[in-house]
Amino acid sequence: MKTTIKFFSLLFMLVAFVGCSDDEDDTPDLDAVESSTASNIEAPQTGGAGTDEPEGGPFTKFSFETGAVTDSDTEWDIAFRGTTIAVNGGTVTGTDDEPERNGNAAVAIETGTFANITNADGLTFAQDADGSFAIPTGSDDGWYNYNSATFIASPIPGIVLVVRTHDGKYAKIEILSYYRDAPAEPNAFTDESRVYTFNYVYNPNEGETTLTTE
Amino acid sequence: MSLNKNNLVAFFLIFFCFSMKGQQAESKDSILVENLDEVVVTATRTIRQLSSLPLPVTLIPKKQLQRTGVTRLNEILYEQTGIVMTPDATIGGGEGVQIQGISSDYVLVLIDGVPVVGRSSGNLDLSRFAIGNIKQIEVVKGPSSSLFGSEALGGVINIITEKPTSDTITGQISHRTATFNNQNSNISLNQRANKIGYSIFADRLSTDGYDLASGDEGQTINPFFNYTFNGRVYHDTSDNLSIFGSGRYFFQEFDVPSGASEEKDANAHLRIDHKINKKAQFEYEVYFTNYNTNEQTIDSATGDILFENDFDQNLFRPEIRFNHNFQLQSTLTVGAGYNFENLTRSLFADKVTFDSQYAYAQYDFSPVEKFNVIVGARFDNHSVYNSQLSPKISARYQLTKHLALKGSVGSGFKAPDFRQLYLDFTNAAGGGYSVFGKEVEIAGIERLQENNEIATLQVNSTELGEALDAESSIGYNIGLGFAKGKLNADINFFRNDFKNLIDTRILASKTNGQNVFGYINRESVYTQGLELDLKYRLIENLNLSAGYQLLYAFDKDKKDAIENGEVFARDPETLQTFTLGQSDYFGLENRSRHTLNFKAFYEIPKWDANANLRVVYRSKFGLTDRNGNDLLDNFEDSFVDGYALVNLVFGKTFYKHYSLQLGVNNLLDFKGNNPLAAQDSEVLINPGIQLFTKLNIQF
Repeated sequence: MKTTIKFFSLLFMLVAFVGCSDDEDDTPDLDAVESSTASNIEAPQTGGAGTDEPEGGPFTKFSFETGAVTDSDTEWDIAFRGTTIAVNGGTVTGTDDEPERNGNAAVAIETGTFANITNADGLTFAQDADGSFAIPTGSDDGWYNYNSATFIASPIPGIVLVVRTHDGKYAKIEILSYYRDAPAEPNAFTDESRVYTFNYVYNPNEGETTLTTE
Repeated sequence: MSLNKNNLVAFFLIFFCFSMKGQQAESKDSILVENLDEVVVTATRTIRQLSSLPLPVTLIPKKQLQRTGVTRLNEILYEQTGIVMTPDATIGGGEGVQIQGISSDYVLVLIDGVPVVGRSSGNLDLSRFAIGNIKQIEVVKGPSSSLFGSEALGGVINIITEKPTSDTITGQISHRTATFNNQNSNISLNQRANKIGYSIFADRLSTDGYDLASGDEGQTINPFFNYTFNGRVYHDTSDNLSIFGSGRYFFQEFDVPSGASEEKDANAHLRIDHKINKKAQFEYEVYFTNYNTNEQTIDSATGDILFENDFDQNLFRPEIRFNHNFQLQSTLTVGAGYNFENLTRSLFADKVTFDSQYAYAQYDFSPVEKFNVIVGARFDNHSVYNSQLSPKISARYQLTKHLALKGSVGSGFKAPDFRQLYLDFTNAAGGGYSVFGKEVEIAGIERLQENNEIATLQVNSTELGEALDAESSIGYNIGLGFAKGKLNADINFFRNDFKNLIDTRILASKTNGQNVFGYINRESVYTQGLELDLKYRLIENLNLSAGYQLLYAFDKDKKDAIENGEVFARDPETLQTFTLGQSDYFGLENRSRHTLNFKAFYEIPKWDANANLRVVYRSKFGLTDRNGNDLLDNFEDSFVDGYALVNLVFGKTFYKHYSLQLGVNNLLDFKGNNPLAAQDSEVLINPGIQLFTKLNIQF
């Protein structure tokens, strides 16, 4: 099964590659689409589950342009705190210590393999709003599944977050793990949680919706 | 270490060859090896010969209970074809019975025809039931709500007690001691003098328990003791009138590290059989049962009560039944009753009450020779959920002298339980999420909104409080029964379609980042497969039996989602996502594709001795989804490998009244490995080999 999948993905890449080279001449000068993995992005929170305190603490802000965590109050696209993910667009939802939304970021939650989500065109984007995050919080509702038998939060396979950045560019991300060093089988008692690893593809050309590197 | 599947298959083949050989040697027969006096009452609520029934029924006779030296209901059930005792997915939970792949929530348990109550998260703990004083256990497979109403979807287990027959006082006293300091003593006394008979039974069980996970604090099964008392009286007032009364009391206390855990279960049952004439009879029945638990978890450092869960459930049920025998062996059975139920629970806001009325009718007849048909239906009217009509039809046709065709179609339902309707629970220790039963969700949400605890409502507010439907199923069984000479064989194909299964969903998100959960009718699942049962008397005192079940159990909606390419899995090494195919879906949790059993019972009359060997095998099964796609697929480390349990018992009777048993349960010392165990620690599936000895004095 796995080999078949590998074979097909290879085949797909080959076809895509050949396909692209055809219209290479017509393409205007655009910056290359970037594909990368962000590893071990720490997203601590205070309070929340298991405590008497409300959820709080600063969000960890991430910029696709720099491909790194940022302290900037404006030049960020998405931000993480525990299992909660905010986008830099819309308004604060009302939880403690949220960053101000001053960009035009938004997110569309898509289903498919990472490779198969190839374009942001025509998708329905949502922004954070009073009382609700654009990426719903809670198990089996947004991006993760919490298993009460193993106490593990697993990213739902097939969920791809297509992001419009604060400055109108497009990216897609696939969260791989919520635990440090993305272990294949995380252990709730020994592996550190609230540590994100995700794949992303970023198109640095404003208004360009293509989300493949080929 | 454990028997692998291939060995077992070889084992069965050898056995089967023997059977064939034996069968050829046998030329004249026509007298069934199986007793014609094997009769059951659960299938039709009338006395019926087991072999003539059109639906699948398993009978566990008293002799099997005695020879195997078991003490509790759960210990004997898992040795029967198509019945599995499943461990709770979360280690430490109780065992649940599974019939035709249908879980314990949907199996009704009766004692002498009346239901026992007291389920924990839907599961009824069958180790509560001592089997020292019973005549036989009957298991009807497939839906039987047409006679028994709610909960009878997967099947009905009926524990039948024994009526005293002897003029003089008879009885037995026994003690059994086993591994883990498991001590079981019981005494029973029976007598029947003229018109009055009585039977008294007392049982005490205690054990040190055992631990399956060595790394953590505490034990998997904490030390406990329990007592069971049962008294029954029988009075044959006249030829036409007889009275039966029974009282049962069970008390159990667990020795938990900090806090308390107590369980009480009491039943009172009165039945009057009134014959009007040779053909017609009334039965008047009154039944009361109470189930009561008291659970407390105390912080050992501060002495504060961390969690309190008290549970007090009552059921009172008068019922009246009428039987009429017509010519040509046809019987009409009608009945009606009223259930008064209430529950007080610390996780509920108020005491809650259910009222339901029901009536049923069944006609058992033979339109032509060799053809038996049973049609029946039951109507249940309920104070809270929608009323239910449950029909069933079954038929049997004797094809040849030795071969019969059987089939049945029936429906079953399970009423939404108290928890699904009235739970009002906020788990402060577990993160602050809330769960509301359907009847209290509007009030619960409003209360949280007033306290500003709700961030957003995730469902349309008009959906709140919409009534839950009963969970329901339709079960199909079709099979062949063969009986010739020393061989009995039965094959049965089954399919059970479930709809409206109640699931939880998110109603709202809270400002603390947690969710509010409610209940909804959503899931549709099916189980299908086949059961094969063979019984063969190899030589005069050696009875062999073998059973096999093939099982497919799937969630229909999840199969559809896979079909639509909407389900994905992640390669655990590369973390790349790929689309899941239909063949990657393993099926529902805790279901083994194959289960096998083999039993040999041997009697040596000249030594007054006996021996038996029983082997039970179940193939691999999954415990829970671990890779986030909410179903069990072949790509996750969640599977318990297939294993076999082998039990061996020797018994000998001395001086007519004293019998001694020596036994080994789990002879191969299977321990297994729970895949959910934390890294670098080990959690077992089974505590391993257990020895026992039992002395029984009959008088």
